Amino acid sequence: MPTFVYMDSCDGCGECVDICPSDIMHIDPTHRRAFNIEPNFCWECYACVKACPQNAIDVRGYADFAPLGHSVRVLREEEKSTISWKIKFRDGREKNFVSPIRTTPWGSIKSPSDYDLPSEDDFKSQHLAHEPETLNVEKLPALTRDQLKLGVV
Amino acid sequence: MFTSNPFAELTAFLPPQAMQIYIVLMLFAVVLGTVLDMLHKNSAKYFTRRMAKSKAAATRELSVGKKASIAVKTLAVEVAAAGEFCNPQRRISHLFMFYGFLLYLGTTVVMIFAYPTPATLTPEFLPALWNIGVIMLLIGGYWFFFLLRINVVQDGQPMFRLVLADLFIVTLLGSSTFALVWEIVQTTGNLVWTRIAFGFYILFTTLLFSTVRWSKLAHMFFKPVVAFQRRLEEASGASSMPPPAPQNERS
Repeated sequence: MPTFVYMDSCDGCGECVDICPSDIMHIDPTHRRAFNIEPNFCWECYACVKACPQNAIDVRGYADFAPLGHSVRVLREEEKSTISWKIKFRDGREKNFVSPIRTTPWGSIKSPSDYDLPSEDDFKSQHLAHEPETLNVEKLPALTRDQLKLGVV
Repeated sequence: MFTSNPFAELTAFLPPQAMQIYIVLMLFAVVLGTVLDMLHKNSAKYFTRRMAKSKAAATRELSVGKKASIAVKTLAVEVAAAGEFCNPQRRISHLFMFYGFLLYLGTTVVMIFAYPTPATLTPEFLPALWNIGVIMLLIGGYWFFFLLRINVVQDGQPMFRLVLADLFIVTLLGSSTFALVWEIVQTTGNLVWTRIAFGFYILFTTLLFSTVRWSKLAHMFFKPVVAFQRRLEEASGASSMPPPAPQNERS
C-alpha cells in the first residue's frame, strides 16, 4: 500500500524526503508540501509514515481489498518507544495495533559521528570500525597470517 | 528617521485619499482572492464534508465551554506560537514573519487613516512599531528564503530558482524590503529616488495582495480553522489517529 500526504497536515519539514529509501517523497513546487511523486515505486517500508512529525502521511490501500472509505493511520511516540496503527475498514470496523519500536530508549544509540575516527593501524585490522567494543564482546575470532597458508585453514 | 510617519511625507506628491482607497482596494483583493482560491480548490466543500464526517464519527458530545476552551488553545498554540512547526528554526522564523507582518500591516493602516498628513501629528511609537515590524519581517523572511526553504534544503533546488510556492515570500520580502529602502531614501530628500523606491514598494505590495488566488497568503485564514477542527475531532473521539499507546515498560 503506497503512501500519500495529507496536504492540510503537512508543514513541509522534509523529514520524509530525507528518509525515503526510494527517493520518491518530494516537495511540491506549488504548495511547498511533501508528496509521493511515484506511488508505483513505493517500497511500502512506511519509513516516511513513521518519521512524519505531523502524522500527515497515510497509506492508500489497493482498491481490490481496501476500497475507498478506509483509513490507515499511524502514531509514533518516541518517548514511549511505541508505534500504533489504527485501521478503519469501510464497513466501520476498527483495528488498533501497538508495537514496540525498539528495546532501548530513543536516542540512546550513538551515531557514527559520535565515534572517534579510525587510526591508521585500525585500517590494517580485519575488524570493522570500533569492533569488537561496539559488539559488546571482548574479542572476535580473526585469522592470523600463518593460518592463511594453503591447506592450513 | 524611524519615528516619523513615512506616509504623511508622501502627501507631497500623493493625496492621502489615494492611499486610503488603495488600502480598501487591497482589502477587497484579498477577500476576492481568498474566495476564488476556495472555489478553485473546493476547500470549503471538502471542509464541510470533513466536518459532517467527523460529527457522525464522534463518540462524545462537546459542550460549548469545551469548544471555547479548544478555540482558546488553538489560538494560543497554533496561531500565536506557530505550534504546527516541529523544526524550531522554521518556527522562530515564522513567528518573526507573523508578528512582523501584523505590526507592519496594522501600523500602516492606522497611520494612513488616522494620521494621513504632516498636519496630523503622528505619535512616535507608531512609525517605530512600523519599522520594528518591517525589520522582523526581513529577519524571518530572508532567513526562511535563504536557509529554510524546504525545496532548496531537502530537494537540492537552486536557491534562486523560483516556483509558484515562492510567490508569497518573494512579494512579501519585496514589499518589506522596498518599504525600508523607500523610507530611508525619502529622508535624504531626493524626490526622484524616493519615487522610484516607492514605485517598487507599491509594485510588490500590490502583487502581494492581488495574487492571493495563486499565492499562500490565504493560509493565514485556513490554517487556524483546520487546526481548530483537528482539535475538535481529537476531543470528540472522531479523529482517525490511533489513541496514545500505554506506557511501554521497557522504555
